[in-house]
Amino acid sequence: MIPVNGEVLQLLLILGAGLFALGLYGVLTRKNTIGLLIGLELMANAVNLNLVAFGRYHGGTDGQVFTLFTIALTVAEVAVGLALVILLHRSRRSTDLDAAADLHG
Amino acid sequence: MTHDLLALLALLSPLVAAVVLFIIAPLRVRGAVSAALTIGATSVSLVASVLLAAARMFGATAPNVDLQLAWLPGGAQTLATVGVYVDPVAAPMMVVVALVALCVQVYSVGYLGHEPSRDRGRYFAYHALFAFSMLGLVMAPNLLQLFVCWELVGLASYLLIGYYWTKPSAGQAALKAFWVTKFADMGLMLGLMVLYVKTGGFDWNVPVGQALMTADAETIAGLFFLAVVGKSAQFPMHIWLPDAMEGPTPVSALLHAATMVAAGVYLIVRAYPIFMLAPTVLTVMVYLGAFTALFAAVVAVFQDDIKKVLAFSTCSQLGYMVAALGTGSMVSGYFHLTTHAFFKALLFLTAGSLIHAVHSNSLHDMGGLWAKMKPTGILLIIGSLALAGFPMTAGFFSKDLILEELLHAGHYLPLGAAILAAGLTAFYMTRVVMLSLFGAPSEAAEHAHESPAVMLAPMVLLAVLALAGGLLHGDFARMAGVEAAFHVTPVGVVATLVGFSGIGLGLWRFSPGRRTAIGTQWVSAPMRLLTWLTASKPVDVFFAGFYRQAMLRAAAGIAWFDRYIIDALINLSGWAVLRGAERFRELQTGQPTDYVYAVVGGLIVLTAMGVFTA
Repeated sequence: MIPVNGEVLQLLLILGAGLFALGLYGVLTRKNTIGLLIGLELMANAVNLNLVAFGRYHGGTDGQVFTLFTIALTVAEVAVGLALVILLHRSRRSTDLDAAADLHG
Repeated sequence: MTHDLLALLALLSPLVAAVVLFIIAPLRVRGAVSAALTIGATSVSLVASVLLAAARMFGATAPNVDLQLAWLPGGAQTLATVGVYVDPVAAPMMVVVALVALCVQVYSVGYLGHEPSRDRGRYFAYHALFAFSMLGLVMAPNLLQLFVCWELVGLASYLLIGYYWTKPSAGQAALKAFWVTKFADMGLMLGLMVLYVKTGGFDWNVPVGQALMTADAETIAGLFFLAVVGKSAQFPMHIWLPDAMEGPTPVSALLHAATMVAAGVYLIVRAYPIFMLAPTVLTVMVYLGAFTALFAAVVAVFQDDIKKVLAFSTCSQLGYMVAALGTGSMVSGYFHLTTHAFFKALLFLTAGSLIHAVHSNSLHDMGGLWAKMKPTGILLIIGSLALAGFPMTAGFFSKDLILEELLHAGHYLPLGAAILAAGLTAFYMTRVVMLSLFGAPSEAAEHAHESPAVMLAPMVLLAVLALAGGLLHGDFARMAGVEAAFHVTPVGVVATLVGFSGIGLGLWRFSPGRRTAIGTQWVSAPMRLLTWLTASKPVDVFFAGFYRQAMLRAAAGIAWFDRYIIDALINLSGWAVLRGAERFRELQTGQPTDYVYAVVGGLIVLTAMGVFTA
């Protein structure tokens, strides 16, 4: 197993930040709801990566345990999100986000 | 203390009757029940008042009754109290009020006998309210309670004048009486405020060590006097009293002759320590009172309505009282109030008896009633003699006392006016007697019949007092601490001679043989002009004009300010919120992406702040 020291941690954090930024970009730019969900998943996994990286750096198991929980939670979140997408599609015949602008003032 | 109980009984028994009658409608709609309750309560008051007065007059000196209950508690000291206070000043007035009220109530049983039962019930309920209010005014331990009761008697007056409420003129008269006196009452309220600011209380006896400055006393007394002018129908606010004759005649006898209009005079008597500090106001009182006495007497000569004659006569006699009080002689004014209450109530009740017989107020419709109604005729003559100041009647003593005081104080012009008014009084009362009792009977008088005993009995009682009331003059003098026995004075002789000549002139002018035309037709054109000028008509017009022009305009101006300035500010704020909201709602695009942008933007801002402040 690769030991995680300061340098490796730095690389991992940069990777996590990059993943997060990619996910955020997806969330902000995608008009398609499914694309948006994928972006959200990327952001969540960037966080997971950080957790694991810090966990290894500090030598405890807390980070890995938390990561397992967040993965489980993300699954639930995706399930709910996809259900919403299906409902959206049923009511609007479209998964486009612009179609769901009912809160317009 | 039994006297405490008596005083409470005198005040509270009419209150109980009034409350019971006002709340329990089934009792009120039964005229007989209502009458019995009210008359019973007033009888209790009368007995208690007589017992209280007997222990304080005729040389007896029982201690004052002074029961007070904290009313407006305010911090360290009580702001105002309510209670009963009976001293040698209040006691005789209590007897007058209770006695005349009882006489009038008993008389009303006969006078209103043909009215529907529920109307009579209402009438007697008002009477109970009046008896309570008037006794509360007389027994008030301070001027604030006096003011409250002052307004209550005004309310009772309004209700009773408007008793025949289906008649538009009665409703208008009630409103007029209410508004005119209410306008004047502002003086009493403002005066009380000034009094409170200056002395910290509502007592008529300013506490020692808190000497009232003369200027303040003038202000307070002047404001009080404004209320007196309204309540006691002095010129130029006498205009409501003749109209108030729209009420039933017994009401006129009780409220608008004997007691309520005398409340103004009583206020001066009560607040005399304050009035004595205000020489200017006292002088104004002398002149205004004397002018009213003469003016109203002149107008009374030309009235065809028997009640209007008596109404203007009341104005005139109240003028005497005010003038007497203005000379600094409390006794003479107060004494005349008492005697006047007896003989003027008697006159109104006899007038009511005549009206009851011929179903008309007009002197034209009377005439020749002596043959049909001798007892009423005798009573009317007794009342007229007392009012005219015929020697040894009650009016003789009190009027002479007033004239003497005017002479002593050196007010020669008012004295002349008062003596002239005395002659006119004798003249117009003779006219009333001659026109109503003697001469050819009119059509209406053919079917006249004497009033029942229930109406005659109270009149007889009042007639006895009108004849013998003068015997009380020594007691009134003692009340003020002077030992004044009656004595013949030159001014008294002159006034009596003037009175006799007035009677003689009336007898000659209206003797049945001479009287070809009755009523106002007997006056020449210049006199008619004088009548028009002096009758209340021009004053009415002036007041109506004042009200329409000044007050309604001012009210319209204030209404405009309210609508276009105050309301506009309120509306502006509402409009601004609406327009602002219209603009700001654009922020809510409803696009989910925009909200994510907002979240991310906010996050960046927060992070930046965290970075830069750390």
